[in-house]
Amino acid sequence: MSLAELPLHAFERPGSLADVCATLSRRAGKGEETVLLAGGTDWVVAQHMSPLSLGGELPLVLDVSRVPEIRGIRITGERAAIGAAATYLEVRHHAVLTRRVPMLTAMARDVGALQIQARGTLGGNLATASPAADGSAALMALDADVILANVHGERRVPIGQWFTGYRRTARADDEIIVRIEFTLPRTGGHQLWRKVGTRAAQSISKVALAAIGEYERGRCVRVGLGMGSVAPVTASLPTVRALAVSPGPQVVTDEHLDAAVRRDISPIDDVRSTAAYRAHVASALVRGFFHTLRPVSSAG
Amino acid sequence: MALIGRSVPRPDGLAKVTGRARYVDDVAEPGVLVGATLRSTVARGRLRGIVRDPSFDWSGLTVVTAENVPANVVALIEEDQPVLASDDVRHAGEPLALVAGEDALRVARALSHLRADIEPLPPVLTVADALQRTAQIYGSDNVFRTVRIAKGDAAAAIASCPVQLSGTYATPHQEHVYLEPQGVRASWDGNGGAHVLSSCQCPYYIHKGIKRTFGLTDERVDVTQAVTGGGFGGKEEYPTILALHALLLARASGRPVKMIYDRKEDIEATTKRHPSVVTVTSGCDRDGTLRAVSIRVILDGGAYVTLSPVVLSRGALHAAGAYRWEHVSIEAQAVATNTPPNGAFRGFGAPQTIWAIERHMDRIARTLRIDPLALRERNLLRVGDTTPTGQFLKESVGVARCVEEAKKASRWDEKRRVAAGAPPAGASGMFRLPPPGAVAARKARGVGASVYLHGAGFTGSGELAHRARVAVDLFSDAAGKPRFRIRGASTDIGQGTETVFRQIAAEALWVSMDRVDFTTPSTAHVPDSGPTVASRTVMIVGGVVEAAARALFALIEGDRQEKGGSFEDAARRLLGEHGSLTVEREYEPPPGHAWDDATYRGDAYPVYGWGCAIAEVEVDLDTFETTVLSLWSAHDVGKAIHPVNCKGQIEGGLLQAVGWALQENVVMREGRVVNARLTDYVIPTILDAPRFTTILVEDPYSRGPGGGAKGLGELPMDGGAPAVAAAVEHATGIVCDRLPLLPEELYALSKEVRR
Amino acid sequence: MKAVKIRCTLNGRPVTVEAPPAARLLDVLRGPLGLTGTKEGCGEGECGSCTVLLDGAPVNACLVLVGQVEGRAVRTVEGLGDLADLSPLQEAFVKEGGSQCGICTPGFLVSAEALLAAIPQPGETDIREALAGNLCRCTGYQRIVEAVKVASKERASREPG
Repeated sequence: MSLAELPLHAFERPGSLADVCATLSRRAGKGEETVLLAGGTDWVVAQHMSPLSLGGELPLVLDVSRVPEIRGIRITGERAAIGAAATYLEVRHHAVLTRRVPMLTAMARDVGALQIQARGTLGGNLATASPAADGSAALMALDADVILANVHGERRVPIGQWFTGYRRTARADDEIIVRIEFTLPRTGGHQLWRKVGTRAAQSISKVALAAIGEYERGRCVRVGLGMGSVAPVTASLPTVRALAVSPGPQVVTDEHLDAAVRRDISPIDDVRSTAAYRAHVASALVRGFFHTLRPVSSAG
Repeated sequence: MALIGRSVPRPDGLAKVTGRARYVDDVAEPGVLVGATLRSTVARGRLRGIVRDPSFDWSGLTVVTAENVPANVVALIEEDQPVLASDDVRHAGEPLALVAGEDALRVARALSHLRADIEPLPPVLTVADALQRTAQIYGSDNVFRTVRIAKGDAAAAIASCPVQLSGTYATPHQEHVYLEPQGVRASWDGNGGAHVLSSCQCPYYIHKGIKRTFGLTDERVDVTQAVTGGGFGGKEEYPTILALHALLLARASGRPVKMIYDRKEDIEATTKRHPSVVTVTSGCDRDGTLRAVSIRVILDGGAYVTLSPVVLSRGALHAAGAYRWEHVSIEAQAVATNTPPNGAFRGFGAPQTIWAIERHMDRIARTLRIDPLALRERNLLRVGDTTPTGQFLKESVGVARCVEEAKKASRWDEKRRVAAGAPPAGASGMFRLPPPGAVAARKARGVGASVYLHGAGFTGSGELAHRARVAVDLFSDAAGKPRFRIRGASTDIGQGTETVFRQIAAEALWVSMDRVDFTTPSTAHVPDSGPTVASRTVMIVGGVVEAAARALFALIEGDRQEKGGSFEDAARRLLGEHGSLTVEREYEPPPGHAWDDATYRGDAYPVYGWGCAIAEVEVDLDTFETTVLSLWSAHDVGKAIHPVNCKGQIEGGLLQAVGWALQENVVMREGRVVNARLTDYVIPTILDAPRFTTILVEDPYSRGPGGGAKGLGELPMDGGAPAVAAAVEHATGIVCDRLPLLPEELYALSKEVRR
Repeated sequence: MKAVKIRCTLNGRPVTVEAPPAARLLDVLRGPLGLTGTKEGCGEGECGSCTVLLDGAPVNACLVLVGQVEGRAVRTVEGLGDLADLSPLQEAFVKEGGSQCGICTPGFLVSAEALLAAIPQPGETDIREALAGNLCRCTGYQRIVEAVKVASKERASREPG
């Protein structure tokens, strides 16, 4: 309904990160709300569904989709830096990411469909902080860092500390997400992206699992996990992760895994699915991933 | 010539692929106001009043409430539904007041400053509550209508059968999701005449509703169909109330008014497919020969009668399926609840009852360990059989060929012996669910089939009562050359009416298609050929088009034979004499057609379309997601006038059925739709769609146009869902008798299978 | 916010339009620019009826604010071809039954145009993935897939040399 109010919003298209930070600093100081808009695939939709403002001050819309400092994808050595305004389409077609982090590019290919992938960004995904966000689950499995900036400089937040509550994040009102960084997973391990959604495309996850298993000399040294739609925030499944290292995938039983999954998630019933189904699928996906880990570890 | 049977490019296609086609929201018009609707948020209550916030600036805004409605009824079958609620509120989403203004934002704000003062009452939200009369909301028993059909003595016959089986089968709401939401533009002229441009299927329904509500005569009402972005039944009766709303605002404001629903409002407020619960009790021999069946059908009609009595009737008439039964007893009821009214949706009650009988056929096959298609083939209706209403089938029963063709194309026997999902040996074609934790193949495949029929045209005496009328004109084009024009009220909502009518008329007139125009249906210019519903457009109305065109041809040809020259010369001569020439024809029912509405005996339909669908699915045994890989089907269409259009209807209808079977789920809480958006009410995407193999069987109907065409639009909707459910059963062993087969439901049922 | 001048390339021609920058591209195309070929089916990026090309990539015009297209290239169904000069895709959609009610057709054509520009000879999977953001309720999609296949062959044969 409040879509009718969209044209009333003040709109600016800052040319640099410094401009964005200055505007944010000024407005945050006065308690004025600012919307950092990239692809619009969450915010514009939310306007569609939300009630009218009833005459209150409307937020300023800052189009940050073309701010140069937050665009692009850079690989430096074993570190990847994805600009907050890089689109899913750019992620999906990135050669190094496709080779080294197929889980991430598979995720990007599963978001909405092409029209959404061409607009949606990982920065937006993190900022909106929907528990069903596919990008957040993938970044959780990568144990990525979120890099924020304000007029004073940059700050780094490990993704494990990013989500502070249902649709709430560690970002302050005067900050913008500039990029996401992570270390490329070791080669030769296992990665999984599995989205269980409402249909084959244009789908919101009922449960999604992002998973990475890394090995050193045949031994599993790290498992990174991220799961969507099973808790108020993207789940990192810490208990399950711990089982991967000790006793390790070749020893841990399915029953152990199930118990760990139960501890790590708190699914609910909503219009898209049921808590019981989500719990079952969460367990099934985690088991499935651990099964793929076993042969490699025994072979090593 | 030979236009019949040729897939000519559709003439309306050019405008559609270039973006030039103007749908109602595409028509730019200065001075038109935007209209919007205030709706109830409660399912049942007493409306005490509509209160305007005095602090809001109402200048330049028009507000209409029930007091402003001349005759506050929507003229359909009954007159129980008000145009705007005045006293009783009977469902969430019910229109209470209307607002119009210059711009959408002011109108939206005005709506939020209008408050409906409603005293809530306990609602009746389920058919069970309705039948137990937890509250009285319609008549004395909350029943809109009861239909009974009897042939022989079903109860006694079942009791004497060696195999007696009973099952209950249920289906949910379905939302049409025509991709163009409902919309209308309305205005009044200086003579008190009403003008409506509507995205609709049935201009004359709207015409009737306007006459009734505003007390106008025929010639004071002009309803024109805009280019319409899909209907599927959803634009059968609902556009009437929307047109009335826009006209009320136009009258009160003195300005033209446009009302375009957004998707949320469209899903919340407009009609849906009736949910159903059907109980089937059958008796048969041990070899699978069917003897007798007793069926009880309950449809949830929602808050008002709308079209429920006729949906119920069609549902009941299809409930025994495509099979021979010596004894049949059917009792069907449409029940009132405090939910948004349900209405017409492709299939019109038949998909619900065919879901039940087809699942029941699978139950019989399962119990008797007979191949499900073999069981069906043994009992198929043939020429010479009689239906539950005693209708003698004298021609065009192509169902056996449909089954044969679909079986062959799908390699049914081979797939049925071993499901492609590599089942363990000795599992009788079924993939047993692995014990929890097993790392076996996690996907299973299976195939399932359904066989079905659909009565073409109105039920019973409907076509006789309506007497579809069509005119074909001979006139001079701008260059003085003779041209032809078809005039009828049948709308092209995407299914190809214009194309096929022009093919039929051109063939009958022996001219090329580009010399025959199709008139945009407008009640000011076209005779009433009836609504565009009930799989009647090609078969019934197309037949009248053909008759009128043939008569016009005979007239011109007669002149030629009498006075000489060519056909063109004769046409010019006639034009010179008469200016223009019009031949009008009306529908002639088949000789001997008999139907008794009181007893439900006789010829329920002029003829039936027949089909067989075979689905192959893959089910993920971890997540219970079902993918329909392939859908083979064969449909007896009588005669395919435009094969590509026929296939488009079949594949579109089957996919709509697949969506209904697997994904589509209207979630209601306290009588309100809570997932009224396309993110949460999900229909199949191109990646969800199976590969179709679509076979057209032609067993001509002697009275069908173009050499025997029968109705087709609804038929495929009847067969998709049971075929998918049967395939899921074959793949997993999970028997699901209730739609939709959501992964959540299959998961819950799988735990019972394991036990 | 007051209307401002927004400059972009529209269907190959530079245009300047006055509009509030936070208005949806969809509304500005359909309103002041008069290009009603781009349709609204859901308003939330689900149905793809409003698909346009933004610098060559298919996007939902209902989710793009018009201020965001400043200096960029937008292409709509009207820019694909016209009655006298149909594109191979437009022609194939008519011939193969890819368009029924037509309301989703412009969006499908725009998405398919982007596909053929990137992959001139797409396979079935390419086609289905490229069109997964466009909903159709009429056809069951198979005729649409056929139309794209036919158009890709036609394009190849129209290529000079």
